[in-house]
Amino acid sequence: MAPGFTGRFVSPNVPPQPGSRRSGRRKGLIVETSTSPKAAPSFFERNHLLLRRLHSLSGIVPIGVFLIAHLTTNSSLAWGKFGLRGQYPELGVQEGGVAYFQKEVTWISTQIPHLLLIEITLWGAILFHSVLGFMYARTGRSNTSSYGYGANWRYRLQRVSGYIGILFIFYHVATLRWGWTFLVPGGTKWDHHFSASTLASALRGGDNFTAAGVVVSAFYLIGITLLVFHFANGLWTAAITWGLTITAQAQRRWVYVCFALGAGLMAMGWSALIAAVMLNPAQARQVELKMQSKAGEAAAAITAPAASAKAGDPNRPSGQE
Amino acid sequence: MTTAPSAANRAPAQTGRSILVRVLRCDGPGKPSRWEEFKVPVEKSANVISVLQYIAANPVTAQGQPTTPVVWDSGCLEEVCGACTMVINGKVRQSCSCLIDEYAPREGDVMTLEPMSKFPVIRDLWVDRSRMFHNLKRVKAWVPIDGTHNLGAGPREAPGNQEQRYVMSTCMACGCCLEACPQFTLEGDEKKWDEAFLGAHAINQARLFNAHETGKALARERLDQLAGPGGVNDCGNAQNCVKVCPKKIPLTESIAAMGRAVTVHGIKRFFGL
Repeated sequence: MAPGFTGRFVSPNVPPQPGSRRSGRRKGLIVETSTSPKAAPSFFERNHLLLRRLHSLSGIVPIGVFLIAHLTTNSSLAWGKFGLRGQYPELGVQEGGVAYFQKEVTWISTQIPHLLLIEITLWGAILFHSVLGFMYARTGRSNTSSYGYGANWRYRLQRVSGYIGILFIFYHVATLRWGWTFLVPGGTKWDHHFSASTLASALRGGDNFTAAGVVVSAFYLIGITLLVFHFANGLWTAAITWGLTITAQAQRRWVYVCFALGAGLMAMGWSALIAAVMLNPAQARQVELKMQSKAGEAAAAITAPAASAKAGDPNRPSGQE
Repeated sequence: MTTAPSAANRAPAQTGRSILVRVLRCDGPGKPSRWEEFKVPVEKSANVISVLQYIAANPVTAQGQPTTPVVWDSGCLEEVCGACTMVINGKVRQSCSCLIDEYAPREGDVMTLEPMSKFPVIRDLWVDRSRMFHNLKRVKAWVPIDGTHNLGAGPREAPGNQEQRYVMSTCMACGCCLEACPQFTLEGDEKKWDEAFLGAHAINQARLFNAHETGKALARERLDQLAGPGGVNDCGNAQNCVKVCPKKIPLTESIAAMGRAVTVHGIKRFFGL
């Protein structure tokens, strides 16, 4: 043994005994594993992998999937006229957008089963993702001033977009879904029978633009932009986290895919916002009223044959008679 | 892949010039830091080490104030030991391979030298990197061959496997990847090291030894460690590590590969396989 050696050879595989000499720091040449008695591992420590991966997964399913569906629906305010397939031929591009958007909203609010359950799942997922995301983000310290590489900026932006994005989501859901009208300039309450007109006045701060409305619209622009980035970039990092993309080339290829998806979502989000802000709420209301009266006529047309069937339709099976 | 010298100035160097070297000094652990400036005549092919040697021989600041010699750590002086790693002009790199001509080519150019910020300072530019060794122990970065009897010849290693492992094995534990990492932060309390982020170097070593035919024996234990607090999941994918690695080790590929291994390991563990 070398002269001056005062330590012991210790196998790091042997579990330490509390209070044994191994709880010391450094003894001679051998740096011993720090094995000072520790508190029992916390819930977060015991389920570290599960929580980390659920955090990653929840950003894609359900939140990311919902984001795609949500922005696609909303962008119909811009392109809806072309989705009407000849229905309402008298409507222009903007009015057609209102009509199609209203059709979509009506479909969602009347046709999707267990809508509230889906909503609660989403809210729960967003809460889970944001609380854990906040905790995880606090463990890092951005250093783009020293290392201004692209991926490092995206690391920083991912965290900033998370912080601002969750504030935006809260404002968005609270005002338009939960009806917290005291947060809406002009106090418009969103109504799914008047989906486009009430949306437009909530964004504008009334039927006409107000200063507060411009602030709200700008907040929407920032919020949508940051959240789309957050999703696209999160999809890129998730592929590394789960080990889908390993080589640098694979990671670069996946950047292109995520960028394309992000660009598409950005185009949809921006076009939806621009279409909504440009909308005259009064005009939009006329389109929505027209649709409601048409829907009323259609409903009457559906119930009428049913009533006549009861009276004895020759085409209906009459086994019970 | 660009390494830290992108901070370098590429103008042709003047001969017989003097440069100003700003050094972030600290008298000992826990003591406050202060900047000191030194005017240093630059010899041909001077590097940061020769500049520091000049300062050690002439410990007088640019203001003419006598001071103590600047302390730094160094070993091989050929960028293979990692001991002289420090933050030069705001970016981490080895000081031995840092040529003054590239960084301060004109009379009066300023260079800044700081100790790495992610490790406790022992004195001046000398830091205590024992947390790196601790993290290597956490992932059991060794081949288990110790026994009481002759274990015989090891398994054959395929040349392709060897080739893939070679670049990973060139890690000299210099700490550049950790200094540049936004997720790896200074942790003075040794008790917290077991839960703090391992960093790219240890994750890469776990991959290296998990790919080794004999090292594989400890693969599950390494994956348990990587799946836990401070493991591979704590990586935030800023990917600075691979940019500053002087050995050009594909650290981000190692992180992704261990991410995949931990995914499989976690699923197996979940179902009790």
